[in-house]
Amino acid sequence: MSYQEKRTIVNILSGVPVLIAYGIYVFIRTRSGSVEPNDLRFWGITMLTFIGIGVASGIILQILFHIGLSISIAIKTGDGKEREVERDIEATIVEDEMDKLIELKSLKLGFSITGTGFVIALIYLAFSGSAAGMLNIMFFSFGIGSISEGFLSLRYYRKGLKNG
Amino acid sequence: MVKKYEITNRIRELRFFAEEMTQQELARRAGVSRQTIIAVEAGKYAPSLEMAFRIADVFGVAITEVFACKVSEIEGKKG
Repeated sequence: MSYQEKRTIVNILSGVPVLIAYGIYVFIRTRSGSVEPNDLRFWGITMLTFIGIGVASGIILQILFHIGLSISIAIKTGDGKEREVERDIEATIVEDEMDKLIELKSLKLGFSITGTGFVIALIYLAFSGSAAGMLNIMFFSFGIGSISEGFLSLRYYRKGLKNG
Repeated sequence: MVKKYEITNRIRELRFFAEEMTQQELARRAGVSRQTIIAVEAGKYAPSLEMAFRIADVFGVAITEVFACKVSEIEGKKG
């Protein structure tokens, strides 16, 4: 498995648990009746907290991944060859036009899902849905869009981009 | 009838003649990732002109020695 695929998996792994944790937390809180459906302050704080957790966990996982990668390259290359290790690391983490194209195509899917989620949220509001419901639909559409981006990137790395 | 253009390459063959140059080495010298070289070699990715020139430059040959275009006609409407 290539560096790019591993990096994408790490991205997915940092996003999925946070979205699931948010879903469970919200489910428990609303089920217990401790949250007013239209207490927007609660939803704002909760979403901001989970976004923060998501960003922080993503950064930490990426740092750990890159440390692990560097160690594995150093072990493979052998001791006492610092320059070769550095060269191998640089050669591994290089980002080229194919990566950028895959990122662009995946982002397009992410935006489509997020945009669709936004429209669904507006329709929900138009049919007298609550503001909290609308916020949650948008939050989940952002999360699902981001995760889908990762899966599509993985697919492109596996199957390739036939048309360049 | 619509013309279909398929980019083919001889990277594997050229690597063989370059003392079995590894994909990693080719990637490093062309300034791209190994994943990209694998995709180009397998015909899963058509590189940009710049990348094609860079790959050809590594082998020290003309771009046409590395890449070729296979044209075939398929049935269907244009556009």
